[in-house]
Amino acid sequence: MLTSVSLTLSPGDAVSIIGPSGSGKSTLLHILGALDPPTSGTVTLDETDPYRLGDKELAAFRNKKIGFVFQDHCLLPQCSVLENVLTPTLVGASNHHGGSVDRARALLDQVGLSDRVDHRPAQLSGGEKQRVAVARALINEPVLLLCDEPTGNLDHRAADVIAAMLLDLHHRAGSILVVVTHSGELAARFPIRFEMADGNLRRL
Amino acid sequence: MHFSTLVRRNLTYFWRTNLAVVLGFATAVAVLAGALLVGDSVRASLRELFIGRIGATDFAVTSTGFFRQKLGDDLASKTEFDEAVGGYCPLIALSGLVIDEQSGHRASSVQLYGVDDSFWRFNSVEGFTVGDRDIILSPDLVSELGSAAGRTILLRVEKPSAIPAGSLHGRKEDLSRTIRLTQQNGPSRTSLLSFSLRPQQGPTRSAFVSIARLQKDLDLAGKSNLLLLSRKAGGSSRKVDRYLRSLIEKELGETFSLEDLGIKLRPLDQKRGVALESDSAFVSDSIYQSARAAGDGISGISVRPILSYLANSIKLGDREIPYSIVSSLNSEEMEVTTHDYGHGQGPTGRSLSEEDLKLPPIVLNEWASNDLGARREDVVTLEYYRWQDEGRLETEKAKFRVEGIVPMTEEFLDRDLVPDYPGITESQNIGDWDPPFPVDLQRVRPRDEDYWHKYKTAPKAFVPLELTEKLWSTRFGKYTSLRIVDTRRAPQEYLEEFRKALREKLDPFVAGLAVNSVRSEGDQASRGATDFGEYFVYFSFFLVIAALLLATVFFRVGIEQRLREIGLLRAVGYNTADVRSLFLREGVLLGGLGGAIGIVGAVGYGALIMYGLRTWWVGAVGTTLLTLKIQPLSMLLGIFSGVGAAFLCIVWTIRSLAQASPREMLAGNLEAAFRKRPGTASRFSRVGSPSTLGILLLLVGGGLLLGSVTGRIGDTGGFFGGGMSLLAALLCFEYAWLKRPQKNVIHGHGWWPVVRLGFRNAAHRPGRSALCIALIASAAFIIVAVDSFRRDDRAGELDRRSGTGGYPLAAESLLPLYHDPNTPDGREALNLFERPGLDLSKLTFMRFRVRKGDDASCLNLYQPRDPRILAPEDDFIKGGRFSFQTTEAQDVEERTNPWLMLNRNYGEGIVPVVADANSLTYVLHHKVGDEIELAAKSGPVKLRVVGALADSIFQGELLMSERNFLRLFPDIGGYSFFLIDAPGENWGSVSAALEDELSEFGFDVVSASEKLASFHKVENTYISTFQALGGLGLVLGTIGLGAVLLRNVLERRRELALLRAVGYDQSHLAWMVIAENAFLVSCGLAIGMICAIVAILPAIGSRGGHLPVVSLPLLALVLVVGLTASVAATMASLRAPLIPALRAE
Repeated sequence: MLTSVSLTLSPGDAVSIIGPSGSGKSTLLHILGALDPPTSGTVTLDETDPYRLGDKELAAFRNKKIGFVFQDHCLLPQCSVLENVLTPTLVGASNHHGGSVDRARALLDQVGLSDRVDHRPAQLSGGEKQRVAVARALINEPVLLLCDEPTGNLDHRAADVIAAMLLDLHHRAGSILVVVTHSGELAARFPIRFEMADGNLRRL
Repeated sequence: MHFSTLVRRNLTYFWRTNLAVVLGFATAVAVLAGALLVGDSVRASLRELFIGRIGATDFAVTSTGFFRQKLGDDLASKTEFDEAVGGYCPLIALSGLVIDEQSGHRASSVQLYGVDDSFWRFNSVEGFTVGDRDIILSPDLVSELGSAAGRTILLRVEKPSAIPAGSLHGRKEDLSRTIRLTQQNGPSRTSLLSFSLRPQQGPTRSAFVSIARLQKDLDLAGKSNLLLLSRKAGGSSRKVDRYLRSLIEKELGETFSLEDLGIKLRPLDQKRGVALESDSAFVSDSIYQSARAAGDGISGISVRPILSYLANSIKLGDREIPYSIVSSLNSEEMEVTTHDYGHGQGPTGRSLSEEDLKLPPIVLNEWASNDLGARREDVVTLEYYRWQDEGRLETEKAKFRVEGIVPMTEEFLDRDLVPDYPGITESQNIGDWDPPFPVDLQRVRPRDEDYWHKYKTAPKAFVPLELTEKLWSTRFGKYTSLRIVDTRRAPQEYLEEFRKALREKLDPFVAGLAVNSVRSEGDQASRGATDFGEYFVYFSFFLVIAALLLATVFFRVGIEQRLREIGLLRAVGYNTADVRSLFLREGVLLGGLGGAIGIVGAVGYGALIMYGLRTWWVGAVGTTLLTLKIQPLSMLLGIFSGVGAAFLCIVWTIRSLAQASPREMLAGNLEAAFRKRPGTASRFSRVGSPSTLGILLLLVGGGLLLGSVTGRIGDTGGFFGGGMSLLAALLCFEYAWLKRPQKNVIHGHGWWPVVRLGFRNAAHRPGRSALCIALIASAAFIIVAVDSFRRDDRAGELDRRSGTGGYPLAAESLLPLYHDPNTPDGREALNLFERPGLDLSKLTFMRFRVRKGDDASCLNLYQPRDPRILAPEDDFIKGGRFSFQTTEAQDVEERTNPWLMLNRNYGEGIVPVVADANSLTYVLHHKVGDEIELAAKSGPVKLRVVGALADSIFQGELLMSERNFLRLFPDIGGYSFFLIDAPGENWGSVSAALEDELSEFGFDVVSASEKLASFHKVENTYISTFQALGGLGLVLGTIGLGAVLLRNVLERRRELALLRAVGYDQSHLAWMVIAENAFLVSCGLAIGMICAIVAILPAIGSRGGHLPVVSLPLLALVLVVGLTASVAATMASLRAPLIPALRAE
């Protein structure tokens, strides 16, 4: 699907990738996120090729280095908002020894959900759920934050809020932010923009 | 597209879920119908077994004595009888003991049949004959003895005697006769060799010999005691059966002869008339009454009762006459006699006064008077033996005043006043006497022998009849003979007239004859004491429930899986009813398909259970002859019940669709779609929260436990009810706990927070999780609680309150013992002498009279119609051993010793009895206070159950007092059942010594605890069966739990994929899923076990703190199966590709 993709990003970069459905942008995101190994070529993050790692190490690598935000927020319905944010901290070595809960509360405060920490996902709106997903993605202070259509299921206003929040949090964290989206409007808010077409990645 | 097309498409597209639903329903139907098939099969097998064993027999004529062998021929000469009855054959049926001479192997309680060729022809076996010196054994007996054709078999058989052994002249020793025979092969139809008229599924010990041989060796020429009858082809309804039985009774009533009832009419001379005598040497009251009635109907005839007795001595001063017959005179004869030969002032037709009884009159004959030197007014003393019912021969004395002396004339030298007493009356000399009681022949003088030579049994003295009745009458009858006299005629002139009149007045059925509807009664008995269908429905209860719950869960999962589809249908215009109709149709088809598959499963399940009954659980049924018989009616009943239950589950499941929100369904939001709208609270929630209900149930349980501890409620009801209430309460709390808002935040890192996440997952669907926990908890409760009913054979072996009464040994004898082995005389009579290292005089025997009947214990699968009855002697009753579960005790004394109730007077026609509680409930289907009707010889009697023994060795019988027993069954003498107290612990030597010394009686000693254990084995086997099937239900529930978990995992594959995306590795996911499943299984097991232990605390206490251990491996198995299922679910989750899951594809 991807034929000629070469991309080097540095901490602090905020990148958007747009393209039509089936162009391969989500595939690129999954390859970047160490979820789907490429058939050829390599991916390196912090001088590590995750696809050379064993299953256990790969899982720990994702846990520590990468944060994900999906179009469908994928929250655990049985857990509260706070617990959803804490989910990645339960496994592997925490980046914040002893302070996961505080950090989760701080993140929820930053995404404007400090009054919803004990709520269940079913009690939240779509935008709120996505904000929880963003907070969860950032809980382990990842080097790389990957967002797959983060505003795809949201209305205009909620999408705007999420976009602003993502950029704000990224700015504070100094991580690499990669967002794939259909939305030209969202893509336009990012300093670095790419377009994916027919398996090729082209900088706009 | 038609609606039906949509249904078809749905069924095939979601085939995996639907297959699970179909299999769940199929299992429920299979188990339910299969269990009913088991009931049918046991009934049909028992019937088949019984029918095979009775051959062509439909009816049987039996007798307490012996009747003419040609009675059948006489009956057949009657037209009406001949038209109804197809065949008949006379037999002699006796109990015996056989010994294979070569091996020495012996078998007691053998049913011996003396047959002629007519028996084989009657059963359609042509050309077979039992030789005069041959014996044919049933296959079971051959197998038990290890014998073969050509071997010498010693047959020890009861020697019937018409004279009751319980009377002075009845023989109490040498009761059997040994016959040497050669074993031969029987006819090829071996089922006939297991011939038995008594329904019993166990091995049959039957033996066949020539009837002529038995008649010859047992002095029964021309006699038989069993007449088999078969009906001519025709209907076999109960109505027809009743008609035929009444016809046979009518014909028998017209055909029987006095000889068939053991009555003899002997013409004497004109003055003495006709002597009526009985083979038993006693004229029973009923015969006397009939004879009087017959005499009253013939002009000029008088009936005079006579009682003659043997006096050991007649003494006057230092003179005595040994061994003299004393006979009775009625008041009129006494008056005439004393007037003529006394001083003319004897009693004149009046009863003896109190004064007379102090020194009653006696009339001596001249020989006696001279021998004693007695004159009128002298006081003579009579010494005589009295046989006491309790087994002692006592010498009693009575003083008489000489009232008269009669001459040695023919009138007073009537040697026919005495019936035949074997060993005495046929003797040529007194010195040749061989009576069944001790005589000192050295006392016999030449002049006594002279008297005997001249006058034989002519009485030497006469006493008033009224007095002889008081002194010498027995329960077998008051008189030894009757005299029927018409002084105007020669006896031959009215003999036949009287015979005819007597026949008309006699009721042959009161006198001992009986007609039994063998086939019909056996058919009734085949319906069984235990409804195995019902039992196996109970036993399979958890299998059915587990299967239905699983099917329901999967059906619901299927609905939830198609939530968006339902939302879409609603969006495009389907109303709620349309959607429900769609799912109902699918459900009906799935249920129907499940039912169809269940039919095959039912046969398989039924066959499996029957196989189990023949093999693993053979201890419960005691036969390997049970086979599967398919009865369409039960099959249909099972199928309809199973499918009906399935439909109810479907309707219950789809009812929730009515309230589901189409918008949320379209969004695939399960929680939101089924969230209760305001104002639509369920009835349950309106009543109260689960916690409130739990508290209420806890209070109820606490109340029951308190009631039990304070003795207001029985232990079983209190603790079991308390345990059940506690179980329900804990399940309510568990549900409330699962539903509660989660306030503790899962945080930290490592395996524990992941495990906690697994626990949290279990709380995600509280209803589904609570259902799984409830299923496992209930099954665990039943398995552990039921296990507490498992009998411990080691407990309380010598405890007087235990099921053995503290008696180490129990014994039964083929022939009754009349002598009391507790007395030196009795031991001497029974040859129970001291052995080296073994003092048999230190044994204490509790003796029981036995009236044979059906085994009322759980060892007999047939319904007992005429239970065996035991009657303990008074010493046993006073001992107050054993424990009672329930009694009708009215005062402190009876409450202390409930056996005393057996002697309470309940009024005319009601006899108190005691039974074992288990037999009473599960076999006889009665309870304390009920009355059981019994057909006694004297007419129907009501047996009132006044007490139920707790877990005793008396499971096969009813117990009544000896006094009532002797009143109801006067013909049954001696003691045949014994409980033996033996000091020390060398019971094996005691058993061997007793069996050896009393082998003539077929004495069989067993350990009382082993006897109890044989009953326990049956109960424990039932418990094992229940546990095995309950456990199977539990395993099915656990596997279902795994399947539900797998479904949960699949439903949550996006969540799991996300967790993998954020860094969870395989071990994290495995921990999480296993924790969830282990939580559910452990909660279920823990709740079930805790409540069960509360419920069985009394049982644990009685076992000295032992917990039920048999159920623990089963529960461990459940845990292993549950965890294995969760591992499988984890593996499935890990196999799911990550990216599609993340994309929710």
